[in-house]
Amino acid sequence: MEKKYWQSFGELNNTESYQQSSKNEFKEDLPFDAEKGLLDAKTPRRDFLKYLGFTTAAAAVAASCEVPVKKAIPFANQPEELVPGVANYYATTYVQDGDAISVVAKVRDGRPIKLEGNELSPITKGGTSARVQASVLDLYDGARLRFPTIDGKESTFDAIDNAITSSLAGAGNIVLLSSTINSPSSLDVIQKFLAKYPGSKHVTYDAVSNAGILLANEISFGKKAIPSYRFDHAKTIVSIGADFLATWISPVEFARQYAKGKKINDANPEMSKHIHFESVASLTGSNADDRYLHRPSETGAIVVALLSAIKGETISGIADAKLKDGITKAAKALTDKKGEALVVCGSNDVNIQVVVNAINEILLANGKTIDWNTTNNARKGIDADFAQLVDDMNAGTVGALIVLDANPVYTWYDSEKLTSGLNKVKVKISFGSKADETTQKCQYVIPNHHFLESWGDAEAKSGYYSFIQPTIYPLFKTRQWQDSLLKWSGATTDYLAQLKSFWSSKLTGVNGWDKALQDGVYSTSSDILGTAVYNAASLSAAIANIQPAKTGIELQLYQKIAIGAGQGAANPWLQEMPDPVTRTTWDNYLIVSPAMAKSLLKIDLANSGQADSYEVHPEKKVVAININGKTIELPALIIPGTHAETVGIAIGYGRDKKLGKTVVDVNDKSIGANVYPFAALINGTVCYDISKVELKLTDKKYPVALTQTHNLLNTSQGKRTEVVKELTFAEYKANTKVVLEEREKELAPFGGLANFKEEGSIYKPFDKPGIKWGMSIDLNACNGCGACVVACNAENNIPVVGKPEVLRFHDMHWMRIDRYYTGDAENPTVIFQPMLCQHCDNAPCENVCPVAATNHSSEGLNQMTYNRCIGTRYCANNCPYKVRRFNWADYTGSDSFQNNQDILNNTIHYMNEDLTRMVLNPDVTVRSRGVIEKCSFCVQRLQDGKLKAKKEGRPLKTGQNEEWDLKVACQQSCPSEAIVFGNVNDKESSISKARSDSNRLFYSLEFLHVLPNVNYLAKVRNSAAEA
Amino acid sequence: MSLKYESQIREPLVYGNKNYHQVTEDIVRPIEAKPTRLWYIGFFISVSLLLFGVYSVYREVVYGVGEWNLNKTVGWGWDITNFVWWVGIGHAGTLISAILLLFRQGWRTGVNRAAEAMTIFAVMCAGQFPIFHMGRVWMAFFVMPYPNTRGPLWVNFNSPLLWDVFAISTYFTVSLLFWYSGLLPDFATVRDRAKTKLRKCLYGIASFGWTGSTKHWQRHEALSLVLAGLSTPLVLSVHTIVSFDFATSVIPGWHTTIFPPYFVAGAIFSGFAMVQTLMVVVRKVFGLQDYVTIGHIEAMNKVIVLTGSIVGIAYLTELFMAYYSQSKYEGYAFFYSRANLFSPYGWSYYGMMACNVLIPQIFWSRKLRRSLFVTFFMSILVNVGMWFERFVIIVTSIYRDYLPSSWSVYYSPSIWEIGFYLGTFGLFFTCFFLFAKYFPTIAIAEIKHVLKTSGESYKNDMSEVENESTEAFAHKYAH
Repeated sequence: MEKKYWQSFGELNNTESYQQSSKNEFKEDLPFDAEKGLLDAKTPRRDFLKYLGFTTAAAAVAASCEVPVKKAIPFANQPEELVPGVANYYATTYVQDGDAISVVAKVRDGRPIKLEGNELSPITKGGTSARVQASVLDLYDGARLRFPTIDGKESTFDAIDNAITSSLAGAGNIVLLSSTINSPSSLDVIQKFLAKYPGSKHVTYDAVSNAGILLANEISFGKKAIPSYRFDHAKTIVSIGADFLATWISPVEFARQYAKGKKINDANPEMSKHIHFESVASLTGSNADDRYLHRPSETGAIVVALLSAIKGETISGIADAKLKDGITKAAKALTDKKGEALVVCGSNDVNIQVVVNAINEILLANGKTIDWNTTNNARKGIDADFAQLVDDMNAGTVGALIVLDANPVYTWYDSEKLTSGLNKVKVKISFGSKADETTQKCQYVIPNHHFLESWGDAEAKSGYYSFIQPTIYPLFKTRQWQDSLLKWSGATTDYLAQLKSFWSSKLTGVNGWDKALQDGVYSTSSDILGTAVYNAASLSAAIANIQPAKTGIELQLYQKIAIGAGQGAANPWLQEMPDPVTRTTWDNYLIVSPAMAKSLLKIDLANSGQADSYEVHPEKKVVAININGKTIELPALIIPGTHAETVGIAIGYGRDKKLGKTVVDVNDKSIGANVYPFAALINGTVCYDISKVELKLTDKKYPVALTQTHNLLNTSQGKRTEVVKELTFAEYKANTKVVLEEREKELAPFGGLANFKEEGSIYKPFDKPGIKWGMSIDLNACNGCGACVVACNAENNIPVVGKPEVLRFHDMHWMRIDRYYTGDAENPTVIFQPMLCQHCDNAPCENVCPVAATNHSSEGLNQMTYNRCIGTRYCANNCPYKVRRFNWADYTGSDSFQNNQDILNNTIHYMNEDLTRMVLNPDVTVRSRGVIEKCSFCVQRLQDGKLKAKKEGRPLKTGQNEEWDLKVACQQSCPSEAIVFGNVNDKESSISKARSDSNRLFYSLEFLHVLPNVNYLAKVRNSAAEA
Repeated sequence: MSLKYESQIREPLVYGNKNYHQVTEDIVRPIEAKPTRLWYIGFFISVSLLLFGVYSVYREVVYGVGEWNLNKTVGWGWDITNFVWWVGIGHAGTLISAILLLFRQGWRTGVNRAAEAMTIFAVMCAGQFPIFHMGRVWMAFFVMPYPNTRGPLWVNFNSPLLWDVFAISTYFTVSLLFWYSGLLPDFATVRDRAKTKLRKCLYGIASFGWTGSTKHWQRHEALSLVLAGLSTPLVLSVHTIVSFDFATSVIPGWHTTIFPPYFVAGAIFSGFAMVQTLMVVVRKVFGLQDYVTIGHIEAMNKVIVLTGSIVGIAYLTELFMAYYSQSKYEGYAFFYSRANLFSPYGWSYYGMMACNVLIPQIFWSRKLRRSLFVTFFMSILVNVGMWFERFVIIVTSIYRDYLPSSWSVYYSPSIWEIGFYLGTFGLFFTCFFLFAKYFPTIAIAEIKHVLKTSGESYKNDMSEVENESTEAFAHKYAH
């Protein structure tokens, strides 16, 4: 018999009462006694309350928890190499007209969301520009053309190919018009196409060309090419109107080289000297050690005078004493450094460039600071070629025109003549990816891929190759233009196959090609500099042909660093990036000097009342500009560093509405004015300097969205030297500890430099073990270009708020570049200071938050907890650096109030389209309305980097032997490597070295004892004034 | 030599030969009569303002704080200016009730009820601003320290804003209790006189079963004293803590140790001005000139000139310290942004100086102190000036702080910002009109209490006393 275990006698005997009780073991009666019927039943009070509470809560929960259903479709089969939440990186190349910059695209869940500079590139070493950073947003531009069209109607590729091949066959002369193409395989494709259609030709047209340099080099050196300028080899740099840090030829490369000469160390103080001559304040001029102002029409006279001065002859033809003095000093500085000197000039006049070549020849620049072994392929267009094409079209000798990446209807000075010519061309084909001004005039439109959807290569400089691979499947029915040309030329293989075979033959087969594609770069060139044979024969003719200086008010058209010749106009990140020189967003305007402001605008900046009134009101006076009967009206901004009788206007504005929501204002009118029609073709090159300008003050006002209103550190109570520190090279050489001594003096009342941390407060400082993050920004290297600003936008999902909001000072940038003037009111020295959250160890924002939404991490981060923030804005008020940004409205669409974006502007709507939102970084919270946000030191990258080190079981590397587990977005994007970031507690890290190596170190507003984790290195200016 | 009962210096606190019944009649009359046309017009305007305010706040809550013109540099503008202004106004009531009660100032009885009501309504108005200035007002409960499921996550006890939460809620609670406990006997009076059932029922509930028994009176007196004792430190603490919002910060112009006394003086100053504005009107409209006498008005004007001068000294001290500290940031805030008529907000500083310091000095003249017209006009000016003061402190400090790069564009309010402010006026006057109609606007019981000693009627029966010789009087009343 089976053994029976029993626990109680009841169980043993299996009594009836036991059976009953075991049956009822877990039974719980209804909370009332139902025997007398439900209505008469009595309920114990406790139970009643308990059940009442439960049912009420349950009903409330059930009734209120309805959440709108959002569909997420999971992968049925997970693609290989794609792990949700883990980014893939692909090396590719940013291409825009002739610019080609090697980048690495960060791809999350199949969509590229951020471009980083490719650190393997020998040219940029990982540097980028604002335009590179912003280009990823263009991929998701809702205004992109989504399918091929014939006469505006949707078509298929087959139909359009048939239509085009049949019309091309009988069209006569075919012209392929493109901006500069520096892709060898593409040029190969073009050759094949041209061979198929006899009589066809390829015309290269650059919106803003360097034809002057190209033609001058043909005269002086017999090479129609742009050499490699080596600013890093130059000890003296003289620039006459060349904005080489912003827009001239290859600014990212030049910025890197330039910074190399500007970085100094205490042990061996040495730095390059940069003298700049310009008419309208530019980024490069703002960075110069010495700047001299001149009329645009004086450029020729200046180069001739400089040539004379270098030769030791007396200067003639320069009336202005200051300018003359500048030329003498420049000549001396140049001749002192023969072989280490470089003169560049931004003029597009062939004669002037011939003289510049002569100067460089005397300075022995050829082969030293100018390298002819490697030529720069950024600009190849010759204006005269295009002018000829326009004439041909008007003459009716062009049968078909294929337009590729060029928009002459907008950028050519004589748009009317061009349009009438275009009307005479029978077949017009455009590869435009957007319905720009030229594409609108073409009957066949086959939209091109964005570069992130493309295959390809680029040869930015001869021998330096960079590869393009797609990072996303084409979003729309678009096709690479190379494929179209190949189709029309009857090739049977597509471009990818051609590209592969092209490179497999040059590299070691397919493996070589794969490796090159993985690296993204490949170079055959060595860094040995080469010379070209100089021919001085035509110099005297060139000098004789230089136009004399003019009188009266002159206008100079210039490119903004972000917008360029208009390529950035439809990109909200670029439009909202404050221009480094004017700190303005979203518009073009008339730049006038303070002197002209006094006479023309009746605003005297020396009068503090008038200056205040001008600064605090965004509505600026509107001036009518009349040139040769053409009149436009633009608001006037007063920008010191501009010649007293010169005004400046940026090109790239006044765009067609079809480019997207970002080129129009709230009244659906295009923003800014198109000033290309003011340019002129002189001696075969387009000239952007215009004389005989009539200016008339109107009684209108127009609001300009400035992000900085005040520019002076000097106040009536003294100069705010605690904010930012600068000194001259002479002072620094005499005593490298000047900055230290200044800090010692500032902190003397609070314990002095040594004891400030402890004695500056009544509280004891905390230990900071483990990792402690810190940043160092070298103000000598930073040129203010703004790449970091846009990189930060892209990395951190920073909302773009549009002009109406920027006007109300609601811009959201986490990082900004402050710009201050000192010295001469007309021609001040300029200092740029990148300003971001300083992550103070004793942060004033942290203790004032009533709900502790902002607090300090154990790693020294000042962190924001968005979902805890209730939006009192007290932290923002109490931040001495004013880096905290508040979400004034539902900028991101992440709010639960319906339709509350209705009142917002176009730009915000654009940024919230489903397509545009694909650019958002899934690692970063999209902030909702009503919370504060600010720089997080890219905490998502820090976590990622720490995890990487942890997985590999080793300490974190932030710059030890140039090894990095992480770089923050601003640091990565900087072409000048001005920003160093890392673990301060690691004595081998780059940040520790940057701090310990330099006596120029200072903290902004250090005396406040907020103990920032961001330090700066003081700006040193190699100025002639004191040297 | 004969005795004179009537003081040559002290005026009677209640005019007219009133007896207890007349007092009740006079004060309860407006409650029992139909409201006047003027009352309806005023009430309608107040409710309209209130509704506009509600719409303005609705826009701010739904669309965001961007409906206001604040910006990345000026994080607080009209919102916190109005908050501090209303809190300041809410100071006179408790001061009159509590501190003057403890100091045995008999004249307070004429005005304390209305002043306390004003305090409560003003604090209600003030409270709207810190609540609705939040970006996410639906999360406002995060400021409450209670055990919670978020960690538990506690509030930040270091933050002056949190101290505000406690200071203001405590002040509001105590003021409300004080006011209501004083109302109990008067509600009972109204109840006892009620001719309609509804009125009897409602005032019956409101009076909490007051019977007027000696025990009730005894407890009532004790409660009044206890609450007065509790309120007294609050009068000083509330605005002290509000001033900490600024004083504990690092911003030049805010970071000032003088703020607590300066704010308290300013609060009393503006509070009395508001009482004047209201009482000058109420006494006229409800015919209460016998209870709120010119003597009351004068007494309050004296307080105004005193506190106004204290505030003036504070202003000058600030300027001196800005100079003496030799801090360029402090110096800029005070000498460029403020005391400089040509700076963008210079007008507000000089407006403040004129309204708060210079013009109140006219009250050194007895004639002007006793003029109703001047008093009314001045009371408005003082409150305008005090609004300027808060605006000056808040906006002129932050719109240009440390980094010149972040100096703000000109900040001026949007329509919804103004709407919110007007809305609080609507709330205030709606409450006040309802109060004036349904509540005894003057403390009946307390008036009766002083009637014996300080009423005009009482001296009529004093001929007997006055005929006595000094020695006989002294002998008689010595014990």
